Amino acid sequence: MHNKYYKLILFVFIFLIEISCEKEIPTNLKYENYAYSGTDENGGNWNPILIDNGTDIDVSLPEDINSDGYKSEISELKAAISNISSDQKNAIDYWTNNPVVRWNEIALELIAKYNLIPGPNDDDTYTLPNPNNPEGPPAFPFAHPPYACRALAYLSVAQYDGLVSVWYYKYEYNRPAPYQQDASITYAYEPNDIPSYPSDGAVLARVSKKILSAMFPLESEYLQKLENEHLESLKLSGGNVSSDIIAGTNIGDAISEIALARAASDGMKKAQTSKAVSDSIKAAAFERFGWQWDNLEVPVRPVGLTPLFGKVKMWNIDNVEDVRPIPPPQLDSEAYLKDVAILKDYADNVTEERRRIANFWQDGLGTYTPPGHWNRFANQFIVENKMNPLRSARTMAYMNMAIMDAGISCWDAKYYYHYPRPIQNIPGFKTIAGTPNFPSYTSGHSVFSAAAAEVLAYIFPEKANLVRGWAEEAAISRVYGGIHWTFDAEIGTDQGRKVSQYTIDVAKSDGAD
Amino acid sequence: MKKYFENNNDVGSNYSIFQKKNTFLSLITIFIIIFHAQGQTPNDALMMPSKNICILLSYDHGQFDRYWEKDYLRKNETIATVNRETILPMAAIGIFDNLNLYLSLPYVKTESSEPNGGKFAGVKGFQDFGISLKYKAFEKAIGIGELSLFSTIGYTTPATNYLSDYMPYSLGFGAPEFSLRGIAQYKLKNGFYVRGMIAHLWRGYTEAERDYYYNNGSYYSAIMDVPNAWNFEGILGIWLLNNSMKLELNYTGLKSTSGDDIRPYNAAQPTNKVKFDRIGASIQYYIPTIKGLGVVGYHNRVVNGLNTAKFSNTGIGLTFQFNFIKEKNQEQDAQ
Repeated sequence: MHNKYYKLILFVFIFLIEISCEKEIPTNLKYENYAYSGTDENGGNWNPILIDNGTDIDVSLPEDINSDGYKSEISELKAAISNISSDQKNAIDYWTNNPVVRWNEIALELIAKYNLIPGPNDDDTYTLPNPNNPEGPPAFPFAHPPYACRALAYLSVAQYDGLVSVWYYKYEYNRPAPYQQDASITYAYEPNDIPSYPSDGAVLARVSKKILSAMFPLESEYLQKLENEHLESLKLSGGNVSSDIIAGTNIGDAISEIALARAASDGMKKAQTSKAVSDSIKAAAFERFGWQWDNLEVPVRPVGLTPLFGKVKMWNIDNVEDVRPIPPPQLDSEAYLKDVAILKDYADNVTEERRRIANFWQDGLGTYTPPGHWNRFANQFIVENKMNPLRSARTMAYMNMAIMDAGISCWDAKYYYHYPRPIQNIPGFKTIAGTPNFPSYTSGHSVFSAAAAEVLAYIFPEKANLVRGWAEEAAISRVYGGIHWTFDAEIGTDQGRKVSQYTIDVAKSDGAD
Repeated sequence: MKKYFENNNDVGSNYSIFQKKNTFLSLITIFIIIFHAQGQTPNDALMMPSKNICILLSYDHGQFDRYWEKDYLRKNETIATVNRETILPMAAIGIFDNLNLYLSLPYVKTESSEPNGGKFAGVKGFQDFGISLKYKAFEKAIGIGELSLFSTIGYTTPATNYLSDYMPYSLGFGAPEFSLRGIAQYKLKNGFYVRGMIAHLWRGYTEAERDYYYNNGSYYSAIMDVPNAWNFEGILGIWLLNNSMKLELNYTGLKSTSGDDIRPYNAAQPTNKVKFDRIGASIQYYIPTIKGLGVVGYHNRVVNGLNTAKFSNTGIGLTFQFNFIKEKNQEQDAQ
């Protein structure tokens, strides 16, 4: 009898342990500051993207390290460090000596926060997010994949150009970091011999805040708080004095202005069209091919997602039609009918493996989107390779330009061909992934992923097989999900590779290799 | 459920019950059987006598066409009306007169009504395996009635690799749950009774098939924390027709202790903070001419909620009680 009760108590205890153990679920990439694998002292001579040269932004000669002004900056810094709080120490640990990764994660989080499709109103109409009334409802923006890839491209390109300029002046003026000059200052991160004027961290903080505030206007207060925290941590780490920071933020202001001017006139404002324009695009496709994609939602969404995103200004391709894929199969062709059979088979036989792949790569509403997923991989590789901030920003800039060009090319194909989705053409068809509000051919996941994978394969050759395999899996995942044809995925993958080659060619001649 | 206080000492009658049981199990198989965890459950105030077993089978149909997105009642034609069918087999076993063991394994099927805008595939399969122990701690005549107190510990865990992160079609929340319940009932001699139940549900982690999700911030993991919850019940009941029929009106409340809100027009996820108030009624009848057999019917509806479906469900079921030790003896005697 007693024995039974002991067993019972043990039973309860084991279950309590199993259930109640609190797990710490990671909210960002876990990494600590590290010694850079290189300092890239010639980085100031690399070709930036938006400006012609790192010298295009003027930065004045810093005060001499023996001047009274500089000495007072140093003593101010020492006083601040001696009064450091535990929150400030945590901030230093959080930002690390590669804040490119942290600002990228902040962008991904905002994308996930705003990647919400507006629902219907009570009268079955839909209201679109409006940048002139960002509060909404619905809140602006709807950070769908085209919006996300563009936000990431501007963020990364502006960061990169800012850092090229910073790197130029660092080695032009060669002012050593405070901890290099004053032995009583201990650097919070791994020491290096990169000059500290202007501050690379400061340009990242300012540029990131400005670009992201423009892309996510409701977050400007939050972003300002992050910028302040980051700038403060740059000083408290022992790495920068105030004048380093100011020179950095000045470059950041100048680059942000250039980047946002390009964004204002790149055609994105016109990407979401009126119903009349949308209908004429659809009619043109029907005229050309004899088919058209229709939205099947209830109530019907009158316009697909950003029909004219294909007309947005590309980064490294002059004419989007140069990379337009071949037409998809006719709806009575053998290739098409074969695909119908494949789709039905996958829908009728959902294996755990196909379900897992469909879900792993889904990156749907409420998430950081496929471009965000590839940014996450890039962040991991950057840290693994111990890249310095300049090289990290270069990686992100080229990858995100290729991803955005891929998106533009994909959207060009989507609305030029206006091809129906499986749920539209196969009677009674059901999916395990959500069918998006735009035509089928080609698959966005395929084009985004192949483009991203090619840039990563160029920058991290040891990862080439891995990332190309991932891109193919991401592509086929959409077929497993029941929302794309196999040719959407396969031709989309080819398209992404082709698009990305233009960006890789630019990267190869920028002076960094 | 059968009235447990009725003791089956008559071996002969037990034998005939055993025969009938087979007949009824066949019927059950034919008509897709019935019963729900109403009466003789981990939550109620009934106890099986030692060495008795009760098999329950229920069929439940539930549905909703609106849900609370945070506190906004949303109608969503993407999912239209979501239907949920449950077949619940359950066994209640009397270990001692004051200690019962319960085992259950529901089979669930979900799908949207047609037409719908989302064209999502529904899901079917076994949900969570449940085991619990109910202990009668106290029973005493006080005033004009009798007060009894019970405590139940329970554990459920997913029986299959179903995907919890596929709401609203997912079979369950996909995490283990440990529950501790306290139950108090006061029953008058004329058959009226009131019962209250309070429980805390410790819910573990579920695993999604994506390794990033948003829960008021980024989470770089497939692991989702399913919030713990409080669970309450208040019941007003009466025994009628010489203790062969039981009528109950019930209130059930559930309140997560943490979690995030469903975002505008976005899918729910297992991390959501769920809250609901539900009312219901049930009837249970022990067929006097067939010893051990009972039928049950009930209807429940959620009347108020947070991040949950405005769900209503109706079920019917059969319960069958027999004395397993005696049947064993009976079989041996027959040889």
